[in-house]
Amino acid sequence: MSLFTCPFCGPRNLEEFSFHKTLPNVAGGEFEKIYLRRDTPALSDEHWQHRYGCRAWLRVRRNPSSGEVLEVELLTGTAT
Amino acid sequence: MRSIMPTPRPRYSAAALLRARFSGRFWKPLWQRAQAKDHYDVLIVGAGGHGLSTAYHLARDHGIKRIAIVEKNILGYGNVARNTTIVRSNYLLPENHYFYEDSLRRYENLSRVLNYNVMYSPRGVVDLANSDDEMMVLARRGNAMRLAGIDAELLDRPGLARFAPELDPYLPRRYPIMGGLLQRRAGTVRHDAVAWGYARAAAALGVDIIEHCEVQGLTMQGGIATGVETNLGPIRADRIVFAVAGHTGAIGTMLGVPLPVETHLLQAMVSEPIKPLIGSVLIYMYGHAEVYITQSDRGGLVMGGALDGIPSYTREPAWHRLEEIVQSAVALLPQLAGIKILRHWAGTNDQTMDGSPLIDRLKHDNVFLNGGWCYGGFKAIPASGAACARLVATGTAPDLIRHFRLSRFASGHMIDEKGAGPYPVRQ
Repeated sequence: MSLFTCPFCGPRNLEEFSFHKTLPNVAGGEFEKIYLRRDTPALSDEHWQHRYGCRAWLRVRRNPSSGEVLEVELLTGTAT
Repeated sequence: MRSIMPTPRPRYSAAALLRARFSGRFWKPLWQRAQAKDHYDVLIVGAGGHGLSTAYHLARDHGIKRIAIVEKNILGYGNVARNTTIVRSNYLLPENHYFYEDSLRRYENLSRVLNYNVMYSPRGVVDLANSDDEMMVLARRGNAMRLAGIDAELLDRPGLARFAPELDPYLPRRYPIMGGLLQRRAGTVRHDAVAWGYARAAAALGVDIIEHCEVQGLTMQGGIATGVETNLGPIRADRIVFAVAGHTGAIGTMLGVPLPVETHLLQAMVSEPIKPLIGSVLIYMYGHAEVYITQSDRGGLVMGGALDGIPSYTREPAWHRLEEIVQSAVALLPQLAGIKILRHWAGTNDQTMDGSPLIDRLKHDNVFLNGGWCYGGFKAIPASGAACARLVATGTAPDLIRHFRLSRFASGHMIDEKGAGPYPVRQ
């Protein structure tokens, strides 16, 4: 079972979190930001929420090929 | 010693079976392993359902002679081996229901066309409703289908009790079953047989099937793709088709083309075999959870549910989703509570931004993409192959798939069956 370390709540079970969307990683305007992704099997920057916890919106960096969680931090700026 | 040289393939028939019983010389490999030649007219990447069916139709319908399929693993190892074998065309949107109906009609005749028993079983697929509002939503979908000439029946509670007696709709449930939308011609098809049947038929038409051959890049000359680099060396080709469901996003990255795709896991499981209990395919969605369940010919209950919900290439199914799916199955059919799960697996899905597939040129004029199948890959195989072959052979997409082009996102013509918006995980 994967653990996420929430910046507010500490290490918590994956089931408390919900994935929202991958974050934009392609240059361009609004269209590219919303619809297009460069799919990199080794690295994914994502938008999550600690939904069944403190409900904070998070930026999570993971490796989708291994499932490893590399970084969790509070999401700042404009959400997509 | 028995010869393994290619010979005219024997046609399967009752008489042939009888002859084989006495001669013992009938059974041969379904297809011959091929060595890569130097040059092909069309090279297809991915020996799964879509790649095989595209190759078959290119050879049969368009008379293209030199066709190769390269596969980095073994034939039929990806999603064609991992799906839950359901075929149906009960979609709301015309772009989807005409396409999937074409596919279902091809599935109805596929055993005869391929001379290979794919075990098409029109046992009926029922979407269950748990409120009056959901009955209205199902009625709307059923009416849209009927306007397109596709069979759909709205079942009320007594109708459902007659159709699926194992499912007592009067049983008190937290999410009661009010009725359902039935498509009788929908059902199941033996998934491996589809891959093997297409492989056998394609090989008989001269298609080279090359396994353990991984494409590492395109070779280019003057803005035109001239072939692929593989671990077995370069192979030249006039046209290249990527049919790599589950790894479409990675192909986009390899070619430097961002795609409207996220890669997610979808899991399925099968129980120990039990006596015949479920005579159709039952789909039960309530709240945020869902389960679909059918019984294989061997007696195992084949079940699946929602996506795991996290971008992943691991093919390792999430345990919390397994728990949710089996809980949903027991909520639907309490008599399943003591049944044991035998096997449990996951496949990678190309989840697109609108939940509909992508069949189009990819970056170059002679490179094509057949992918983005989301939940709908297996049931689309026959139609996808026929239509994609026509696009590759003639350069023009037939009407059936014209709307699956990549530019639909920029022009605002998304085909969003669920109305979920640009969130692949919700499609």
